[in-house]
Amino acid sequence: MTDTSLSPAAVLPEVTVHRQTLSGRIALTLAALAVAGLALMPWWASTGTIRMVLELCCYLAVAQMWNLLAGYAGLVSVGQQAFMGASGYALFVMAQTFGIDPFLAIPISLLVPAILAIPCYALLHRLDGPYFSIGTWVVAEVFRLVASNMGWLNAGAGMSLTVMKQYSAFERNIAMSFLCAIMVLLTVGGSYWFLRSRYGLALIAMRDNPVAAASQGVNVARLRFLVYVAAAVGCGLAGAVYFMAQLRINPPSAFDPRWSNVAIFIVMVGGIGAIEGVLIGTLIYFIAERWFGAYGASYFVVLGILTLLVALYARTGIWGMISKRWDAPWFPIRRRLVDTNR
Amino acid sequence: MQWFDALIQGILLGGMYAQYALGMALMFGVMRIVNISHGDLVILLSLIGISMASAWGIGPITVMVALVPLAVLMGWVLQKAVLNRVVGSDPLPSLIATFGLSLALQNLMLQIWSANSRSLPGGGIESRSIEIGGIYIGLLPVIVLVVATGLTWGLDLMLKRTRFGRALRAAAADVEAAAMTGINPRQVYAVATAIAVGILGFAAVFQALRSTVAPADGGAQLIYAFEAVIIGGMGSVWGAFAGSMVLGIAQAIGFRIDPGFGVLAGHIVFLIVLATRPQGLFGKA
Repeated sequence: MTDTSLSPAAVLPEVTVHRQTLSGRIALTLAALAVAGLALMPWWASTGTIRMVLELCCYLAVAQMWNLLAGYAGLVSVGQQAFMGASGYALFVMAQTFGIDPFLAIPISLLVPAILAIPCYALLHRLDGPYFSIGTWVVAEVFRLVASNMGWLNAGAGMSLTVMKQYSAFERNIAMSFLCAIMVLLTVGGSYWFLRSRYGLALIAMRDNPVAAASQGVNVARLRFLVYVAAAVGCGLAGAVYFMAQLRINPPSAFDPRWSNVAIFIVMVGGIGAIEGVLIGTLIYFIAERWFGAYGASYFVVLGILTLLVALYARTGIWGMISKRWDAPWFPIRRRLVDTNR
Repeated sequence: MQWFDALIQGILLGGMYAQYALGMALMFGVMRIVNISHGDLVILLSLIGISMASAWGIGPITVMVALVPLAVLMGWVLQKAVLNRVVGSDPLPSLIATFGLSLALQNLMLQIWSANSRSLPGGGIESRSIEIGGIYIGLLPVIVLVVATGLTWGLDLMLKRTRFGRALRAAAADVEAAAMTGINPRQVYAVATAIAVGILGFAAVFQALRSTVAPADGGAQLIYAFEAVIIGGMGSVWGAFAGSMVLGIAQAIGFRIDPGFGVLAGHIVFLIVLATRPQGLFGKA
């Protein structure tokens, strides 16, 4: 065989893989500035603003975790509050009962949701599609009832984080701001990093079609398990940070289904299966909460109806509509091949 | 004796849960859909019934006669307006749609009826009981159990014997093949949901008579229905019925051990069944 035109070098054009785009570079710069701004909050924001931003960051983190679960892994959970409460309680027990420094206790408390997620998933993955969702809710209810019955968690009365008194208000502000920055970096930045990795490629394939992904060698079952545990830890981080700022925890607040309601609203309205969607959704939720939160129940009626309408008529959410018109992703994860000879 | 009493009370409680679980088993069996607003619909119907009773001074039987057709209509509208658009192999749209509906319904009820617990006056029937060998059995729970058995039996018979039942089972087995034989799946779905929600009309009256209802209670009813269906094993209405009994007994025995443990005992039995026999106690492997 002397015909060299069939050799791979001649057939395949020389290409380079492009991952970043102009819009992506701009967004990444803005995101880095935003994270820096979060960390520097004590020097430009009041305590009230810091608390507000902290809550916003918690919603962002939980919503992004829900997005990973439902948007990529096909695991529609309505019980992520189980892991928020679990790590919240772990933090309170370690800091309050055992006297561990609360800021050291936060990273340790993340072990609790990670460990609990394993048996939970082992049970729940046996449930078919929609039944999985209700199963996650049962798990959250079990966690709440167990916490309400446990004497060393002070049962239904809950616990207070009085050890935080040893820090001045300014020190607490610094801690909250840094925790916000770290949380956003880990949940949103971490998701972006994960989606750009080899696993991300598999995850996106799984999002589009799990059966086809499995036929291409993606270990769907293992990936789902990994995403479930990662989401549990991410929600746990949000829970630990949120309840540290609240200084109080009790079973109904720790395992409040409201977190799931809000996460689902944020992701569905913003746009499922995209980090951009979560950012848009969080912003919309936050503005709506400021403007209409005072209306209480009727405000939640509107949130519910909006979620329903998105599921019926606009399943890709706002980001889906935007990205259909303009191809300018903020967090590009696609690999584009560019012919270097041209 | 104490435990035997708990067993009897548990079976009677199971009669209540069976009335929630039947509709859920039917809808999941036919459409692979779980309606998250299932429990909220029970509460909505209960509250409507309570308001009717107090506004017009009618008794519980009249309320039921009015409520069941209303429930059937609600189910039919739910299917036509919402579920028909989201039924499919992907579970996400139907879950999110009914989740949004549940959130909206719960808060709408809160607006209309406030967060207070209410109940339906039964004219003395709710407190009457019969004594058999030292055990007091409430008359109302017995009626609930009898109605639940009747509904299960009727539903099972309908699925097995009638033309519509055959169409429904065909659509459940393979939608496309069923459509080829001239069955209109959307019509079958609409009737199935109408029946499922219609049964909730009975459940709503009994729930309001037996205990109290408040707008936030729907989630718990949904979970009990779900647990009953999974414990019993999918694929048959008698499975859902038996699962309800197991759940009721677990809760009743749990309550005897410690009042704070009752509901949790039900959840634990559910998790044990899930761990050891995921196809359900009476399901085919």
